[in-house]
Amino acid sequence: MDQETWKLVLDYLSAKEQGKVEELADLGVRLQNWLHKDPQHQQELDQAMQLWEQTAIIPQTEAWKESFDHIQFLLQTERPQRSKTFIIWSAAAAVIAAMAMFLLFNMNREAALPVNQIAWITKTSSPGKITNIMLPDSSEIWLNSGSSISFPDNIKIANFRTVKLSGEAFFKVKRDPKHPFIVHSLNIQTQVLGTSFNIRAWQKSSPEVTVLTGKVAVSRDSAGLQSKAIHLLPNQKGICDLKSGQLHLEDVEDAGFAIGWIEGKMTFDQMPMETVFETIERRYGVKIVTEQAFKACNLTAKFGNVSINEVLKTIQMTLDISYTINKQTIYIKGGKCN
Amino acid sequence: MGENNTAGFYEDGLHTLDDKAFEDLYRRMHPTLKRYAIYLVKDIEEAQLILNDVFIAIWKNKVRLMNEKAYLFRAVKNGANNYHKISRTSFRNLEDEEIQDVVDLKADPFQTYMYKDRARMLYHLIDQMPERRRLIFYMYRIEGFSYKEIATLLDISVRTVEDHLVKGFQFLQEKVLKNEAEFR
Repeated sequence: MDQETWKLVLDYLSAKEQGKVEELADLGVRLQNWLHKDPQHQQELDQAMQLWEQTAIIPQTEAWKESFDHIQFLLQTERPQRSKTFIIWSAAAAVIAAMAMFLLFNMNREAALPVNQIAWITKTSSPGKITNIMLPDSSEIWLNSGSSISFPDNIKIANFRTVKLSGEAFFKVKRDPKHPFIVHSLNIQTQVLGTSFNIRAWQKSSPEVTVLTGKVAVSRDSAGLQSKAIHLLPNQKGICDLKSGQLHLEDVEDAGFAIGWIEGKMTFDQMPMETVFETIERRYGVKIVTEQAFKACNLTAKFGNVSINEVLKTIQMTLDISYTINKQTIYIKGGKCN
Repeated sequence: MGENNTAGFYEDGLHTLDDKAFEDLYRRMHPTLKRYAIYLVKDIEEAQLILNDVFIAIWKNKVRLMNEKAYLFRAVKNGANNYHKISRTSFRNLEDEEIQDVVDLKADPFQTYMYKDRARMLYHLIDQMPERRRLIFYMYRIEGFSYKEIATLLDISVRTVEDHLVKGFQFLQEKVLKNEAEFR
């Protein structure tokens, strides 16, 4: 947008904010004329208005705190003792002042302040089940067993489509470049505009994002502060090492394996037995009790959509275990690593 | 708090400044006012001293100001004028030190997440603008000063204020477009 137009837009928005009706009408006409010149202009104007609204909110920081504490300290030496009633009165004054200011502020900047509460909706897949979810924005999510996902009820109209994931899910995000789709899971955030990808974010293991189509940006996300993002393309995955917190990129042979779980498949590649058992527990909705910890024991195996008996038989052969099944609990005895 | 208390207050016409209101005022005004002071004296520590003086004076009066924003900016300006009369220390480079103020954030509540995140990104960009343009942006968008008020506070022309804002918004728009294009 050129400078002349920006001037006009700023004048228009200022007049609107200050309720200057006469100026507004005139500026409105000029703005309309500009809009009619090119269909592209509407989009530019929308963006300008967004910038206007979004710059009215200053991000909260703690920067003021230290210097304020110092001022408090300076004041302490000369601060007179005050009676209790006085304090109550002044507290009341503060509340009134705050309310008055809140009202004033809101009257002036109605559009700028997001005041309405947003409700979060949570969906959970119980162990042994995979849930297919369609979000209001038409994005599709397959939620692995024992995982849950939350999204705001306004996701369709929000500037950012933000969801929170615990566990594993495969996303097919509806393309909408104006409203980035952001997934928060463990300590990473994944941002896309419209692609399909898988996120594995089980507690106690390093979260992974594997891309099937399109492009995604993954960054570390601690306390709301993002690190520099890494960009992933199809057949690449981003891993955030749980211990070091470092993000790195790996190529994968076939990203399809990452979503085998949707069809009930399990793929283990040098996977610690502890994790293998956890995966089986979730997949089949069972509880596994082992005699020993199987520390430093890894398994490499591929299972199709087979029964739990078949899975256990394979493990029996590889690790030399014996097992008994009692309802939903599996007891594993013996076993040794290769 | 009962209704009666509220009524009593206005009848008394007593608008006392208490600890909480004082803290709120400081927190609210700090980002722009500090930048303004730094802009005027070109020294971070000296700027903070001016802020200290102004706020200590307010506390001692213990009265809520009718138009606190206008008062505070004028007070800081006076403070800076006095400072210039007293000393003429050399300028320091403060760009880097100062930027820290805005970037570090501990906001998580997811309910306002989307808005905050966006605002944070934008203010990160705003903080990359030249010093004067950045300050004008804060004064215009955060404090809601008019072109004319800003021009007076900065001793520049209204046209210059407008020019900075237009270029600032253009810069933001370009950056945001570029960001979005990266994902396509």
